[in-house]
Amino acid sequence: MKVLIVEDEKELSDNVNAYLANGGFICEVASTYWEASDKISSFTYDIVLLDIMLPDGNGLNLLRLLKQENSNTGVLILSAKNALDDRISGLELGADDYLTKPFHLPELQARLKAIFRRRMMDGRNDITFNEVRLDPDTMEAWVGDHQLPLTVKEFELLLFFITNKKRVLTKQSIAEHLWGDNVDFLDSFDFVYQHIKNLRKKMTSAEGNDYIKTIYGMGYKFTD
Amino acid sequence: MRLLTKATLLFLVVALLVFGVGGIITYQMVVQEVQLETDYYLNETFKATVRGIRAGKSIEALDNEKVVITPLPGNNWTDTIAQYKDTIAEHFNLRRLEPHRNLTRIKKIDDTYYRISITDVVIELDDMYEGVVGVLSRLFLFLTASVILGSILISRWLFRPFTQLLSRLSHFNLKNATGLEVPDTSTREFQQLNSFLLKMTDKAQRDYHSLKEFTENASHEMQTPIAVAKGKLELMLEAPELKEEQAGLIQGAYQAISRLSSIGTSLTLLSKIENQEFSVSKNINFSKLVENLFKNYQELAELKNIKMESTIAPDVMLPIENSLGEILVSNLIKNAIQHNYPGGWIRLELNAQYLSVKNSGAQPSVEPSKLFERFRKGNQSGGSLGLGLSIVKKITEASEWQVAYHYQEETHHLVVSFQ
Repeated sequence: MKVLIVEDEKELSDNVNAYLANGGFICEVASTYWEASDKISSFTYDIVLLDIMLPDGNGLNLLRLLKQENSNTGVLILSAKNALDDRISGLELGADDYLTKPFHLPELQARLKAIFRRRMMDGRNDITFNEVRLDPDTMEAWVGDHQLPLTVKEFELLLFFITNKKRVLTKQSIAEHLWGDNVDFLDSFDFVYQHIKNLRKKMTSAEGNDYIKTIYGMGYKFTD
Repeated sequence: MRLLTKATLLFLVVALLVFGVGGIITYQMVVQEVQLETDYYLNETFKATVRGIRAGKSIEALDNEKVVITPLPGNNWTDTIAQYKDTIAEHFNLRRLEPHRNLTRIKKIDDTYYRISITDVVIELDDMYEGVVGVLSRLFLFLTASVILGSILISRWLFRPFTQLLSRLSHFNLKNATGLEVPDTSTREFQQLNSFLLKMTDKAQRDYHSLKEFTENASHEMQTPIAVAKGKLELMLEAPELKEEQAGLIQGAYQAISRLSSIGTSLTLLSKIENQEFSVSKNINFSKLVENLFKNYQELAELKNIKMESTIAPDVMLPIENSLGEILVSNLIKNAIQHNYPGGWIRLELNAQYLSVKNSGAQPSVEPSKLFERFRKGNQSGGSLGLGLSIVKKITEASEWQVAYHYQEETHHLVVSFQ
């Protein structure tokens, strides 16, 4: 999957680049409006990660340009400015999703994969990991032939794990993924723990493997 | 009491005192003057009578109802000086007893001694008293009437700049872009007051705006470096040969940064609500919104073994921006889950008048009136920021709704009324 990161903050784009490259993405970075428009006109990307506030131009104009050039490219808007206007105009112009700084890198990766799924695999959308299979459209999950009786949050949790497989997910990033970015929440870590416990139980009782590893002091990792 | 009413009343009290004392003085002076005049008259009449006798007029001709002349036989009399005294005698005309003034004197005229007694009616003290009181009370009434009339006119005209200033001050809002408008006046004190107030409000407004700008910028500009730091830590967690101890340190730093970032987002949200950046263009279906959020949090509540119930009237339409509505309701529900205990309950009720959230829970350690303040936590435990309810408060203020909190019988009760 080819991703263009349009972000003027070098440290931030470095982080994203490093994390996504680890997850098998091919990334390029553009740090100015002109560099970005140059790259957009010259190459094709699966997804463009777009910071709206650039030093030499408005990211929304890049979005317009992008939609003229190649409408099949997915766009994830990235900004510290979570003003509603920007979000709405971004989505109206054809952006697929919107992420507010600061974000968790696993969250970013999950969103990118979701955009990619929607755009690339028209119709057939299943995600598999060994014997585990998920259908994001119907929100159904199977282990082998057993359908898992998952709640909405448990499904989201499993999907988040699989889209970030083999990576450490902190409790915070899981909590924020499940309950939104406004987690001013005393017990959110307990809730994460509870959810994971339930999910594990449901998967193992469907004769699946326990892929969720607890990494002490850090969080969890979905790996075989 | 209004300033002018107060001043008028005080003035009238002082005037009443002055009139009272003045009345006593006037009365005494009048009495004195009348006596002096009467005595003078008696003395003159005496002299005229003496002249008459010397001129050889007969005693009968000179004698009348005011003058009584008695020739005294013999020579062993001496002249006396004038002696005045008050008597009561029958008035010659009115035929009733009246106070009189009498002058009796023995004088030798042409070898004969005469006792000459002259009597004249004097004005009664009562009459004088009544006269003085009558005049003064009329004057006082007139004064009162004119003072009241005057104060009305003064308040209409002289105090107008002041009352205008007061009403503009009461409508003055620090958050507005426009400064205080002061009324024109030619009165020096009011001019001074105006200029003081202009300076003060300008300064307050400037300070308010710069502080607000600072908060906004700080919480906004914070987000990128936080995102960077967060990302670095996440990348560090990926490192293959990480020791447990290091992982713990990273996790600690990560948590602190997450907290910083949510404080930033919440403060930004608060200032956005204050700036009224959320425009309300239409009514939204609040019932659906509440229902969705209710379902969203039900699972969470169940994890904590909390029973959630709701009574939601269908199709309650309210003028609020959608995301603000969501924040409001989810903050209320989150609050109810957070300040609860395992096995507790939450009851949510929505109708066209109010949204009410009741839940079981221990008594808050903070005074109820302070619960809506920023960084005020009813329960010091855990990672709560203490911003949830102040956000609720701000949203209700922006929507011109009311929010109230009660604690009774181990039940927290938060009501947002839409009226």
